[in-house]
Amino acid sequence: MFDWPLLQQNFPLLLGALLTTVEVSAASLFIGFFIGIGVAAMRLSPTPLLRRLGGAYIFVFRGIPLLVQLLFIYYFLPRAGLPNMSPMTAAIISLALCCAAYIAEILRGGFLAIPGGQLEAAGLLGLNARQMLVRIRVPQAVRLTLPGLINEMILLIKASSLVSVVGLADLTRTAQNLAASDYMFVQDYLLLAGFYCLINIPLAYAGSRLEKRLKGRGA
Amino acid sequence: MSFDPHIITDHLDDIGNGFLVTLGTWSSGVVLGLLLGLVIALAQVFGNNFVRAPLRVFIEIIRSTPFLVQLFLLYYGGPSFGLEMDPIPAGILGLAVYGSVYFAEIFRGGFESIPRGQLEAADCLGIGRLRCIVRIQLPQMAVIILPALVNLVTVLCKETAVLSIITIPELTMVLTGIGSQTFAFVETLLALCIGYLILVEACSRLGMLLETRVGRFMQRQPQ
Amino acid sequence: MNNTQATLALASAANESTAPESRKAMIQLQGVGKHFGQLRVLKGIDLTIHHSEVVCLIGPSGSGKSTLLRSMAFLEEYDEGQINIEGQLLGWQNAEASGVARKRAPQAKINQVRQNVGMVFQQFNLWPHMTALGNVTEALQQVRKQSKAQARERALAMLDKVGLAHKADAYPIQLSGGQQQRVAIARALAMEPHIMLFDEPTSALDPELVGEVLQVMKTLAKEGMTMVVVTHEMGFAAQVADSVIFLDKGEVVARGTPQQIFHDAEHPRLQQFLQNYLDRNAFWQDGKDAAAAKP
Repeated sequence: MFDWPLLQQNFPLLLGALLTTVEVSAASLFIGFFIGIGVAAMRLSPTPLLRRLGGAYIFVFRGIPLLVQLLFIYYFLPRAGLPNMSPMTAAIISLALCCAAYIAEILRGGFLAIPGGQLEAAGLLGLNARQMLVRIRVPQAVRLTLPGLINEMILLIKASSLVSVVGLADLTRTAQNLAASDYMFVQDYLLLAGFYCLINIPLAYAGSRLEKRLKGRGA
Repeated sequence: MSFDPHIITDHLDDIGNGFLVTLGTWSSGVVLGLLLGLVIALAQVFGNNFVRAPLRVFIEIIRSTPFLVQLFLLYYGGPSFGLEMDPIPAGILGLAVYGSVYFAEIFRGGFESIPRGQLEAADCLGIGRLRCIVRIQLPQMAVIILPALVNLVTVLCKETAVLSIITIPELTMVLTGIGSQTFAFVETLLALCIGYLILVEACSRLGMLLETRVGRFMQRQPQ
Repeated sequence: MNNTQATLALASAANESTAPESRKAMIQLQGVGKHFGQLRVLKGIDLTIHHSEVVCLIGPSGSGKSTLLRSMAFLEEYDEGQINIEGQLLGWQNAEASGVARKRAPQAKINQVRQNVGMVFQQFNLWPHMTALGNVTEALQQVRKQSKAQARERALAMLDKVGLAHKADAYPIQLSGGQQQRVAIARALAMEPHIMLFDEPTSALDPELVGEVLQVMKTLAKEGMTMVVVTHEMGFAAQVADSVIFLDKGEVVARGTPQQIFHDAEHPRLQQFLQNYLDRNAFWQDGKDAAAAKP
């Protein structure tokens, strides 16, 4: 059942594709993080309109399946006037917008966990809202929610498998192409699964270790 | 760019069928996944080490790999194992296996959240293991895990969109198909988005209703 | 009189209240009131705090003393009357007019009015992700726009003043409660406030750590800082305060010099409060009968 020479041949090809997957995921997480901060801040804003906008963002981007979001951005936007975008761009935009919604909720929990007294002291010392957000709230929210953010990274890497649908040469697409030509479905897809495990299992381990450490230290 | 809602109304039959397929695969997958998940959870809590170790490996793999990859293995790789399946059964099985692992985690968390003291008291009173599970643990767990269950069910609803990739004629496949045929991308994609938003919202509303119902039942028990 | 009572009386006698050099009014409260729904937390408070004056607010829990102090920093919005900081109205756009709801002043105005007010909290409220030095330099750099070097220099000077220059690079979690509170004081002092507010600064501290914080506060008082302190430390009030104000159920029940409050207490509620305090804290009594300890 296993064709060793073929395996050795496919391995480096998938290794290259792994790079693409990680690149796309990391870029999306990075962009999504900053969008997420904005949405979380909106959700916690004293202005009702901002709160509702933030809530609407989360409702839309968590309610619609990622696949549909991806198709929307790749197929619809170019026809709505936006210039034709490469699969890579569409993928990153779509993943970023989607994970921003989840990150916003994670960070919101972090923001709410910061003792109010610290912000009172900051306000009294003269820091304005932007300074408080950047210097005090975000650093602490990230520290408090790091395990959740790592989990989000894992989810993002798994979700990135969908970009294969718009033709981006990520892990999944590459494996599909290989399987289409050599018909060794089990072998190729098991190898594919193995690669995902290679990234995600260490990440999950790191996340749970971090969680245990944070619980012990009391942040 | 013109907007023509008639595209939708013209194909209402097909869209309706796609919707039914989505609902069907979703519900079957959830039910099967719940059962599998319960079995896995019980095996983890009560099983011996011979059972727990391979189970742990299985769970890690399912949790670390994308749903799409699991579907590919099942649908395209299945025949190599003698598992020749039509797309829909493969999709349901895939959804169930994928969900079962997360269901199991929720059940396990629920089991562990019941204070040990209650089980010890039951044991002292001579209440058997099975009776204890059914009469003491499960009822209390139900309220605690309900929000997590509703959340997972909603996630699985969204995952049914992925089933379109292995050619299951559910909502996403039907609407995007219509879109490519008629070039009416706006209308179809918009309808698709709205369709899922309705499903997801209905799911969470139902969930909240259930929570209040079950919670009310629990409140009648003496504290 | 038992020992503790005698000590308090001696202390207040020693702290002869010399009238503050400058009678400039730093904080003025007129008819200040506040309610939470049906509950009236503050009623008709009239108070003036002068330059270099040390005022201690004492009273049972629920008496409104913390609410009053926090109102002076507009951390609580007072509903009636007005509070002036160095002559400027705090928090509201205009003085009270009957029947007209007041509008909250823009945040920039509120910040401007209270920029010379520093506050120290019961829970320290240090930012845990910054070192002691970082906590002190933060506002200097962000608000006063000082350069990193300038801020660092000033911060180290303040930390030295509270005796913690050697802990500049420590994180709050590595410091004891008393040390954290002293860093908090340094942080407030770095901004060169004209007025310092202390909200039960030692209530969250282990007893052995209280002294180091009170020592810093005593030094500040000697240097002429205008201070308003909500505290349960009667010894501190007796030794350091220029005036002591006793609040009960949201009203000023008694005010005066430490001598007048602690030694010559007249008002029955004040006497009861002091008796409760002495009962809790007296640990050596002449005679077994508790009644013998009554003034």
